[in-house]
Amino acid sequence: MEQIKVFLDESEMPRQWYNIQADLPTPLRPPLHPATGQPIKPEDLAPVFPMNLIEQEVSTERWIPIPEPVLEKYALWRPTPLYRARGLEKALGTPAKIYYKNEGVSPPGSHKPNTAVAQAYYNKVFGIKRLSTETGAGQWGSALSMACQMFGLQCRVFMVKVSYNQKPYRRSMMETWGAECIPSPSDRTQAGRKILAQNPDSPGSLGIAISEAIEDAVGDPEARYSLGSVLNHVLLHQTIIGLEAQKQLEKLGVYPDVVMGCAGGGSNFAGLCLPFVRDKIHGKNVTIVAAEPTSCPTLTKGPFRYDFGDTAMTTPLLAMHTLGHDFVPAPIHAGGLRYHGMAPIVSHLLEEKLIEARAFDQLETFTAGVQWARAEGFIPAPETNHAIAAVVQEALRAKEEGKEKVILFNWSGHGYVDMAAYDAFLSGKLTRYELPEEEIRRALASTEAFPKP
Amino acid sequence: MNAQDILARMDALETRCPKLGHQVTFEYCRQESLKRPCSRALVCWNHRLPVEMILKKLVGEETYEAVFGGPPKSRVESLMEAIESAKQRCNAGGSGPREAPS
Repeated sequence: MEQIKVFLDESEMPRQWYNIQADLPTPLRPPLHPATGQPIKPEDLAPVFPMNLIEQEVSTERWIPIPEPVLEKYALWRPTPLYRARGLEKALGTPAKIYYKNEGVSPPGSHKPNTAVAQAYYNKVFGIKRLSTETGAGQWGSALSMACQMFGLQCRVFMVKVSYNQKPYRRSMMETWGAECIPSPSDRTQAGRKILAQNPDSPGSLGIAISEAIEDAVGDPEARYSLGSVLNHVLLHQTIIGLEAQKQLEKLGVYPDVVMGCAGGGSNFAGLCLPFVRDKIHGKNVTIVAAEPTSCPTLTKGPFRYDFGDTAMTTPLLAMHTLGHDFVPAPIHAGGLRYHGMAPIVSHLLEEKLIEARAFDQLETFTAGVQWARAEGFIPAPETNHAIAAVVQEALRAKEEGKEKVILFNWSGHGYVDMAAYDAFLSGKLTRYELPEEEIRRALASTEAFPKP
Repeated sequence: MNAQDILARMDALETRCPKLGHQVTFEYCRQESLKRPCSRALVCWNHRLPVEMILKKLVGEETYEAVFGGPPKSRVESLMEAIESAKQRCNAGGSGPREAPS
């Protein structure tokens, strides 16, 4: 029987996180404080984060030791297995070898606990009694709820009200782990009360929930705020994924040609990829790809992908001819197609051309996710489907080129609490062009009939 | 089909929100940010609807430009703004400056 999985013993689990800041060819530009225009200083972050995490945020040490209590919690599900996706390889008829890190084996089912556990630990050590955070669908909220319970911290999660109503099982998970899950906007904060006064039926937004969680932390000396993406220390904690993968691939005697992950806030992408970026900086020939969600108006006319028009991402996304087709779509909206929310480290790596970004439409990603589930069994989280779509594209390219590429990607989580999304896809609710544009244009001519904000 | 019917049909369309991580309707996206469109609305909807035209009509050119005209704020910028706002609210509400717990 051919080998499917590579395990590491618990004793082989990495004892340090990797900090890419030590190896960047040019230093990360410090984020500027919007009020002063000056680089953000540790004391600016102190109202919401403990100083031991702020030190990690600004650290340029290459290796940061993982505290023993964190390793003990990690050992509940780590090291995670490295799989070979032989089923998908066969389904695609590709000569590529596809490997993936299965981060879906953690208790909440995603990579998020890698930083949640670390953050809970550092807050506990700093003397904090309670953590506050926001969540949308609840993936981060449930990871932090579990982590807080592990270290005896209270946890308060402001869950966007539309998500609170739509994702009851995630809410139940958080409450099972002992967290207090509050629909946002709420009457617990001034920010929430102000919104409710204007609109009692407000469905909430991530921005409102963030405001509530931060205010909740700032107003309580024994509380701090916790964020599950974007920040340097979050990405740092996730690097255990890539460090484990390197050891596992070494056992097989292979090194990846392409490393891929889905990049929303950047943490799962960075977690797998940053150790390989280090290798690339030191001369390894490896392509590293961040797969992103975006729309794609002309998919029916030819396979192409959007990509940044320049490395600084100052131009609109441009169509790139990734599969050799010569279709050129019409120019589309400039401002709105710029990327939002990427982690500063990931943006910096794009500017340095150490990684590249590819974007995929939701129909493509769900198609890839269903293909994956049918070939490999596991049902991926919808976010993970972006990485799978990128893998499928790369594997088919390898087939076209007749190359036996080695592809590694981060299977960042399972989709068992996201079946409503699969249902929407499978029932055809995500189809394109539901309404003829001419009909909309005619209707919009009489705009008086539309409600105004 | 009249304008209200068209809007009702558009409002019922669903897409996956990359910020929240689940399905949302167009109705939510077009007024996500305190009745203003979500800053990702163009990215998320332009392949399904002439969303630029629709949003300009619904919210007006001025609001549209305010949301989509400039470069989007980074998450870190938004975070710092939220911290400053929260500090001001807490100070106005009588909370004093905080010390790290011992």
